[in-house]
Amino acid sequence: MTTHNTAGVAKPDLTARQIRRMKRFDNPWRNPKLIWGAGLMLGIVTLGILGRLFWNTDLVFTGSAPLKLPPIGFENLRGQSGQAGFPLGTDGAGRDLLALIVIGAPNSLFVGLLASVIGMSIGIFLGFSAGFLGGRKDDTIRILSDVMITIPPLLILVVFQAAFGDVSLTLMAILIAAFMWQSPTRLIRAQVLSMRESGYVQMARLSGASTMHIMFREMMPNLVPYLFGSFIANVTTAIVTAVGLEVLGLGPQRIPTLGRIIYEAINSGALIQNLWWWWGLPTILLGLMFIGLLLINLGLDEVSNPRLRKL
Amino acid sequence: MNLTRQTLIATTMLLTAMGPAIAQDVAREDTVIFDLDRTIKDPENFNWFTAGTKREHGAHQAMWEPLFILNYTTGELDPWLATGIEPNEDFSEWTMALREGVEWSDGEAFNADDVVFTVNMVLGNDELSEREAANIRAQVASVEKIDDLTVQFNLTEPNPRFPTENFGVRIFSSFLVMPEHIWSQAENPATFAFFPPIGTGPYTYVSGATNRMIWDRNDDWWGAKVGFQDLPAPQRLIWLETGGEESRAQLLASNQIDASQNLTIGSFEAVQAQNPAVIAWHDDYPYAWPDPCARQLEINTTVAPWDDPAMRRAVADIIDRTQIVNIAYEGTTVPSETMFVKYGAMQPYIDAAVEAGYGLTAVADVDAARTAIETAGYTMGSDGIYEKDGEDLGVDIHVNSASTEYTRTIDMIVEQLNRAGIKAKAVPVENGVFWGEVLPFGSYEMSYSWLSCGSVNEPWTSMSRYTTDSVVPVGERSPGFNNTARWNSDAAAAYTEVVDRMAKLAGDDPALPGLVAEAYQHLDAEMPFIPLVQAAKLLPFNTTYWTGWPTAENAYNHPAFWWGHTHQIIHHLEKAE
Repeated sequence: MTTHNTAGVAKPDLTARQIRRMKRFDNPWRNPKLIWGAGLMLGIVTLGILGRLFWNTDLVFTGSAPLKLPPIGFENLRGQSGQAGFPLGTDGAGRDLLALIVIGAPNSLFVGLLASVIGMSIGIFLGFSAGFLGGRKDDTIRILSDVMITIPPLLILVVFQAAFGDVSLTLMAILIAAFMWQSPTRLIRAQVLSMRESGYVQMARLSGASTMHIMFREMMPNLVPYLFGSFIANVTTAIVTAVGLEVLGLGPQRIPTLGRIIYEAINSGALIQNLWWWWGLPTILLGLMFIGLLLINLGLDEVSNPRLRKL
Repeated sequence: MNLTRQTLIATTMLLTAMGPAIAQDVAREDTVIFDLDRTIKDPENFNWFTAGTKREHGAHQAMWEPLFILNYTTGELDPWLATGIEPNEDFSEWTMALREGVEWSDGEAFNADDVVFTVNMVLGNDELSEREAANIRAQVASVEKIDDLTVQFNLTEPNPRFPTENFGVRIFSSFLVMPEHIWSQAENPATFAFFPPIGTGPYTYVSGATNRMIWDRNDDWWGAKVGFQDLPAPQRLIWLETGGEESRAQLLASNQIDASQNLTIGSFEAVQAQNPAVIAWHDDYPYAWPDPCARQLEINTTVAPWDDPAMRRAVADIIDRTQIVNIAYEGTTVPSETMFVKYGAMQPYIDAAVEAGYGLTAVADVDAARTAIETAGYTMGSDGIYEKDGEDLGVDIHVNSASTEYTRTIDMIVEQLNRAGIKAKAVPVENGVFWGEVLPFGSYEMSYSWLSCGSVNEPWTSMSRYTTDSVVPVGERSPGFNNTARWNSDAAAAYTEVVDRMAKLAGDDPALPGLVAEAYQHLDAEMPFIPLVQAAKLLPFNTTYWTGWPTAENAYNHPAFWWGHTHQIIHHLEKAE
């Protein structure tokens, strides 16, 4: 048995629920994965904004609160219970965990986003140039990115940041971005190579459009969903790299980041003292951040590739 | 027989063959494992006269023995390789008697020839730069052998403190005598590696790597033969690099080390909750032993703007010692008032400086600091940081990353300075780099250390560490870490003159407190370093396998087991039942 819509086109046999889901997919952006992912990320950003408005952010500094207080409703090894003034507890140097998270979580996200924006921009520019212009330029860019891709970024960054000492968040993002452009460059170059010979590009070329116009006005829009997915994946990588450096104690010193909180916790024996909130809360937040980014990435995949949409 | 089995058997055979070559098996309960807080850069170099980790990995606790050991409880020198030392009337000649029957572990006799040879080697070679060697060079004019067991030291000037200063392990180590029959073969004593090493101690070198050193008992030790001491109970000693606070704590809790470096009080309490066999100096709060090296902020007085005494004073005013005690030490220590350790014997000198008005306050005076900084031409920027000519007022503070105690204190100071308008930042450095490259060569602006350490019952030793004769340019090694601040102003010269007068007085001379106050006015006026807090070392010992550790009740000596007096600790250890 088949059902017929108004235009009389035959549709496969579907239950009411599947039809409902089909309708929802008429608008690919109403993808549940995308919505959940974006919701998680928005939640973290909102936490940062609301926290800055309603919480005393000076509590992120050493010595501004009592030491090692547990979250409300718990007791620490010394038998002290949590206080309303420090609802998520405090760390071993007298910093309030809620304030640290309010400031630290958006900071970690910021480094990831900035590094990814810079890295992607370089990647897009180089990838298009290599693919579209070809010749010597292509060779140079290709060899450069091939060489750079073999270098393990964490190794170099550890040396760099140890030499720089106390880095700012922006500088850290820029340093990470220096290792974020190679794979977008290679992938975009491959896409552009295949696109270069397609009809609409030839047409634009014949009508005398400039190289920049063809590259960024004609070809780039076709790559947008792909670029978006790649961007989000890069944010994840950049955050992992930044947290890796921070956990080694190489991040900024007086600006809280999630990685730095974990570093301080490890360094001060938080595990053996059972100060679980000190390392646990930032770890949970990082976990949420990665899940959010992953969901956005999966959602974007389904948006740009309808074959992935399951009923 | 299949291939896997063949491989397994081959591997087993290979391992069995290699086993004895590395080390024979010694049971855990016959082994003492000490915590080492640094990497051994060159484990096959035992030339203690030059810089590097060459003693505290067991060498001067188990293999090389000191001539005397200062007993921190009685204040006396316990004789060890020497039996006594006597001065002439004006303290310019000292005659030392050596113990009979002492042998190097290769069977050669230890006697006056070894002492005379080692002292002469140090006198003739400026490259032998470690503190104890530099001290001997500064104090001894010549040395002569009277007979096989008697040595006479002729000093450059009278020194009533000569034996304690040089031979008694007063702080960390002492002048260690080397075997003449080996060192006389060395072409250049500054580059000689002395490998494999030998000593007179009850343990001999077995193997070493960058993270550990293993020593086995020499059952033929001279001390047991002549009845000086019984053979110590542990068959094997291991010094093991453990890493940070967390790994130290876990290793203690799981009985994988027997003596640990400093833990913060929170971690110590947590370890004790898991493993009640872990003890410390005191049974109860604050648990810690008062280390004689009071903590201070070192300043390189050659680097602008810290070459200005007013700016150094401003930093001193910003520092809130009470907050450091409460946050970084969790209440286990007290603020310093002067450069001196707060031992009973030091109290008259502390009082002298404080009564003269040179004592430091326990809390900050940020307003005074702000006035001083503004007088120096700085204006407060919009970011809350002082600036002059468009440049922020900032400072890098080098800190040894080996212990949470150090990093937490500097985090607190960095915070206090930033809040007051100085853009401070901590630069954590590995232990070996910190002591080997940063401090001695003056490659820092400020740093956290304890370089006025030295005095425990008289004031001269600490004060003598900041005299102008120790000043060298930045980039050259400060002799024995003395005056790494490179303090060389007119006030420093006046200070040196007073301290030189103090040098000639015996440790209990009634004129000393007055001279301390006189000298201290220059320290107070120029602040070449800023005393912070007294040092409290919370050193956990594990009684699961070994008992007899030094504690406040059983205070045969102090518990700093990286010092050369650890021989006494090892001889006191008994197997736990």
